[in-house]
Amino acid sequence: MTELKRPGGELASRPLHFFWLVDCSGSMNEEHGEKIGTLNHAIQSTIPDMAAAARENPNAQLLVRTLKFATGASWVTPAPVPIEDFAWDDLTAGGVTDMGKAFEMVAAQLTIPPMSERALPPVLVLISDGGPTDDYRRGLETLLRLPWAKKAVRIAVSIGRDANDDVLAEFTGNRELVLQANNPQALVRCIKWASTAASAVSAPASKPKLAAPASGSTNAPLVLDMKSIPEPAGDVDAADVW
Amino acid sequence: MNMEGMLKTGTVLTAQSGSAYRVCAYLGAGTQGEVYEVECGGKHSAVKWYFPQMATRTQREILENLLMKGSPNESFLWPEDLITGGPGGGLGYVMPLRPKEFRGIVDLMKRRAEPSFAMLCRIAFNLTKGYGMLHAKGLSYRDISFGNVSFNPATGAVLIGDNDNVSASGRDDAAVYGTPRFMAPEIVTGREKPSRNTDLYSLAVLLFYMFMLGHPLEGKLEADIRCMDIHALNRLFGTHPVFIFDPNDTSNRPVEGYQDNVLIFWELYPQSLRDLFIQSFTVGLTAPNKRVTEKQWLYEIANMMSCLITCPRCGAEVFFDAEKAARGETHVCWSCRRAVPYPPSLICGGDRALLPLGAKLYSHHLTGNYDMDTVAGEVVANPSDPRLLGIRNLTGDNWTYIRADGRQIPVAPGRSAAIAKDAKINFGARTGEFR
Repeated sequence: MTELKRPGGELASRPLHFFWLVDCSGSMNEEHGEKIGTLNHAIQSTIPDMAAAARENPNAQLLVRTLKFATGASWVTPAPVPIEDFAWDDLTAGGVTDMGKAFEMVAAQLTIPPMSERALPPVLVLISDGGPTDDYRRGLETLLRLPWAKKAVRIAVSIGRDANDDVLAEFTGNRELVLQANNPQALVRCIKWASTAASAVSAPASKPKLAAPASGSTNAPLVLDMKSIPEPAGDVDAADVW
Repeated sequence: MNMEGMLKTGTVLTAQSGSAYRVCAYLGAGTQGEVYEVECGGKHSAVKWYFPQMATRTQREILENLLMKGSPNESFLWPEDLITGGPGGGLGYVMPLRPKEFRGIVDLMKRRAEPSFAMLCRIAFNLTKGYGMLHAKGLSYRDISFGNVSFNPATGAVLIGDNDNVSASGRDDAAVYGTPRFMAPEIVTGREKPSRNTDLYSLAVLLFYMFMLGHPLEGKLEADIRCMDIHALNRLFGTHPVFIFDPNDTSNRPVEGYQDNVLIFWELYPQSLRDLFIQSFTVGLTAPNKRVTEKQWLYEIANMMSCLITCPRCGAEVFFDAEKAARGETHVCWSCRRAVPYPPSLICGGDRALLPLGAKLYSHHLTGNYDMDTVAGEVVANPSDPRLLGIRNLTGDNWTYIRADGRQIPVAPGRSAAIAKDAKINFGARTGEFR
């Protein structure tokens, strides 16, 4: 007689929504398209690493999607895709920088529903090389009013010298989470570093006393000081348990 | 592809022993450094190479101490050689490579590795024994969690890695305070530093995860939390921990639909194991020196391994529960829900082993030495009447069989003694009784 398997299922886990928010305005085509090319390469090559990390993370189901913005904004992957099924579709650049529109579209996704009631903090990675051309503030306010956006780990990658770091810092809420990518190598490093936020958020790894600096200057994985992410105070219904 | 870390393939690292290790492949990165496969004289090993900010003098001193002390037992991927200098003046150490057949605890959690209950007990036993050996050397591990333990699903052998934070119990010198969900409440709240007693908490969490496929503090309080962020983690595992099966506090019971595994598994184990978890996560939450010790776990798990009943109808493994048996209650198969008969037992010291045909006795049963690897006896059928079972002496020593009428008969190595009610066997260190 063969032994029966033990009963029960997998360890319960929570969804972790990861968003790539990518500036595809015309300036990303500068330097003969190298900027957008480097970005495509960098994100594509970080996907297997993210999948490998997710495989070893029993606490999270990592779900990824991409939003591009230029003149207007659109979902490259409209529905959340499990990381093991996610493939990077190369983005092309052209148009203006409607960042506010992008914020509004992310906000729509972080509203409950479609967002689930129980999850890990979402991760929003905004990559931009220029200042917004639309009314970004209205979109950002809509976004940051949402409990899930407040709870999100928000990281920005600032490409080149024309990026508006003040706007990016308004988005992240913390200037240290605006990573500087002034050359292709730095862009690759920053994107790699930001991608490890998925693991850091669900916190399965050791918590070192000495955190790696948030400059992305080494290969050290991201060690976010999660305590710097605020606990929503009076503006959340006290009956909610956050 | 970013498959290159700090060290390029082909780099030669000269260790303190004088051995030269050639970097073969990048294996991965953690929070403190990167791990490479290296080769020296045809032998392959692993090297952990620290990120510059982690390559501290304190880390080097910890490694030197570990090299001097030597590995507690065969269950550790212990540092074997130190590398200082090298490219960029860095720091690293050599350790054995984890063999390919070993799997991680995450594989267990995601059901990619599916050991039997018997093998699961053996893995848990070997892990607990390893940590016990480490603590016996005055060291603490500091980061008992999913990531740094692996096991061989075929043999139950375990390998404990990431030993470079191991240091003297209570000293605040290692780079790591632990992993969320595994850290003791007094570490989460910042009141204490890692020690042997905080290791005992993490060990209880790891064992609970392995046996129950859930967390001992994740019940209704976890289910009610929408966003599982650092604040929620700190509350659940630090400031307001409540055991999901606390007999005196029902506020954090598991919620069906969210925490089904713990509801399924909790009832399958003997009360004696449940009692150890209750101790760990009620009184043990606030009294670090009242946590369950390795010996208590080993004693219990050895009994569980020795008292599994195979359901004769469906083949499911059912744990014998001595308390249930003492109350005269029937054991019921968790799978087919029918009554399961169980064979006679050998009670030896405080240990019990059920004696179905083919069952093995280990050195631990005869001596209480926690050796569950060395086979000491086996239940065999009497060749002249296969319905009669006996225990074959597989040790090199003589046993003495004491019949119910008091008559004593020697049992030489290779001979077998009948399993009979009220008879006993004197094994030398201990005497076993049949029940």
